Amino acid sequence: MTRHQITRRTLLSAAAAVPLLAACGRGGGSSDGTVRFEGWDYESQLVQQNLDGFMAKNPDVKVAYTPITSAQYVRKVVAEFTGKNGPDALYVYDDSLATWVESGYLQPLDGLPGVDEVYNGIYAANAQAMTYKDKRYGLPYYTDSTGLIYNAAILERAGIKAPPKSLDELEAQSITIRAAGLIQYPIAFAAQLQDTWASWLWALMYGSGGSMFADDLTPTLAGADPVPLAVYEWIHKAATVSKIIDPASLQLTPVPLDNAMMAGQYAFNLGSRYALRVYNDPAKSKAAGAMKLAQVPSLDGAVHGTVANTRMYGLAAETQVKDKAMVLLNFLGGHTDGQPQTARFWFLQRGLGFTFKDMAKDKEITDALAKWVDPATYAALADVAKARNIVQAPWYAEFEAALQKTSQQILTDQITPQATTTTLADTATTLKKKYS
Amino acid sequence: MQRQWSDTSRAYAMNAPAMAAILLLVAYPIGYSFWVSLHRDNLAQPALRRFIGLDNYLGLLSDPAFLTSLGVSALFVLLVVGVTVVLGLALALVLNETFLGRGVLRSLVLLPWAMPGVVNGLMWRTVFDAKTGALNGVLLQLGLIDSYQAFLASTTGAFVFTAMAQVWNTLPFAVILLLAGLTTIPNELYDAATVDRAGLLQRFREVTLPWLLHPLLIVLILETMNAFRAFDTIYVLTGGGPGDATATVALLTVQRVLTYTDVGLGSAYAWVITLITLVVSIAYVGLLYRRGSFEV
Repeated sequence: MTRHQITRRTLLSAAAAVPLLAACGRGGGSSDGTVRFEGWDYESQLVQQNLDGFMAKNPDVKVAYTPITSAQYVRKVVAEFTGKNGPDALYVYDDSLATWVESGYLQPLDGLPGVDEVYNGIYAANAQAMTYKDKRYGLPYYTDSTGLIYNAAILERAGIKAPPKSLDELEAQSITIRAAGLIQYPIAFAAQLQDTWASWLWALMYGSGGSMFADDLTPTLAGADPVPLAVYEWIHKAATVSKIIDPASLQLTPVPLDNAMMAGQYAFNLGSRYALRVYNDPAKSKAAGAMKLAQVPSLDGAVHGTVANTRMYGLAAETQVKDKAMVLLNFLGGHTDGQPQTARFWFLQRGLGFTFKDMAKDKEITDALAKWVDPATYAALADVAKARNIVQAPWYAEFEAALQKTSQQILTDQITPQATTTTLADTATTLKKKYS
Repeated sequence: MQRQWSDTSRAYAMNAPAMAAILLLVAYPIGYSFWVSLHRDNLAQPALRRFIGLDNYLGLLSDPAFLTSLGVSALFVLLVVGVTVVLGLALALVLNETFLGRGVLRSLVLLPWAMPGVVNGLMWRTVFDAKTGALNGVLLQLGLIDSYQAFLASTTGAFVFTAMAQVWNTLPFAVILLLAGLTTIPNELYDAATVDRAGLLQRFREVTLPWLLHPLLIVLILETMNAFRAFDTIYVLTGGGPGDATATVALLTVQRVLTYTDVGLGSAYAWVITLITLVVSIAYVGLLYRRGSFEV
């Protein structure tokens, strides 16, 4: 019996293999022309199903799809690009777009086939969210706008016939609901500190026509724009004087808030249109059928506005398979046979918000919408929605954290409305200087 | 003729793979993180990466968020370590006695330690929930509250309840160490003290406590480090809020590196945590180590 021995040559060969193995991880794209496609792991089986359909129709384009855990998506993609091992095509959050462009991860799509057609047919807020420094970097995956979600059954029991148009009406209706002995705190927001955005707060600002920043990203919070102070005064009063906002909001993230809404524990919240699909599903919600959508109440009750988010498909700057990746991107975020096939697919399958204006007039779409929300209100919110301009600043994430922190402080009476706007304006100025 | 290796050379040769692994996987990342902390290095602005010496560290002296978080961390450590040591000692003393079911109880005490911090945070978030939380249910049934409360909505409440959730997670480790220390105390010492008419408290003060100083030292060092680095439980329970009431320096470090991708400043934060825990550990050793040395 011979015994296998590790010779010096074997050892040297193994040592030489280590850098070779390491080298396998380098470089974007695949040498065989496969398009490496990455996204967060929302419905990854459906994504793969959609991609299988794409590859069947485009046999010359192979796609290797990798879903990444949502909570780690941004960090992992940044790590991959930093290690020169990024994908060819990928999902991009509007919050991340500017940073990823500045970091050299993405390339503009201007002039590429199908892009103009897409941008001509989508809502302004979505086009704005996918544009950075006058260049277009994305094709739309999905969008959503924030609206006032209310439980019509609770309002009816309190003798209220229509949802509030102004913030004062919202306060008055909430007091009426409490006086009727229905709910102690009729309003809740998802106000726990989190890495994502406080959509409810942005919706309140934009809902009254406010804008916390000018186009050049100079803060207008403390003076130039009177809306933020007035909105913060309303929040402060609602939380500490009329006490209509649940203090438990500070413990709420979106999912627990959804559960509470579906259990009929609140009459109002500010949430995404998409949530109504589950809220009005009898299999999941006790309040199904009673949950309605309305415009975000504003300071004067006449102005209408809200905030929209946009998720998009981007093209890596250093992809070696640009043409094939663009064919894929057009299938996912553009038109196929003259229709936004994938956008329709996602809406019909899962109710994901669409960016294409024509879809709001499509009978198949409106019929599907009518099962869980009023299609006219749904479309009206998209019409008035705006994108956050501040996401174009590299310091946006830090500002968002400060925004959420001060919103908690004002809800718990630790800070005055005036101090809130001043603090946030100072924070923005400091961050702008720090990142310059 | 084959050259014979000396024992020392052979020892080095045998340990070389392990040493190489430690250097590669521990020493290099630690050293590299210090090197990164000397740079302006935000992954969002790769073009602006440059060596800035100690500027990141000097900047911390005037960074209000960092200074506030240091204060929060200090209070958090004080509360968590204080409660852990007192409760841990009490539990260890109980579990050192002989009674029916002691083995089962000893096993049960270990359970919280087996729970990852994130799971611990999620569990306590459910317990403290303002609408459906078990704590609210119990207090309401006992008549101690009139209606369900949002325990984590006030600054004091959030701080105290988060600290207690952290204690629950780390207490078993303290109990094990102190229990191990208790089992090493010779019974003759208690017998002699009893003969000398020493009471329960006297026996504890004159026999138990001096013999426990070394295990206590280890508990203090490790629990201080744990409390200073506490992140996951706090992140899940409050995210650092309300406002910045529970925004510890460890939470800020993770946020700085992973959310803001500011790896330069984030590394400086991490090194400050390391230095502070080192100083505290040295202080513990200076205070307690010699007092706990005995000739038996």
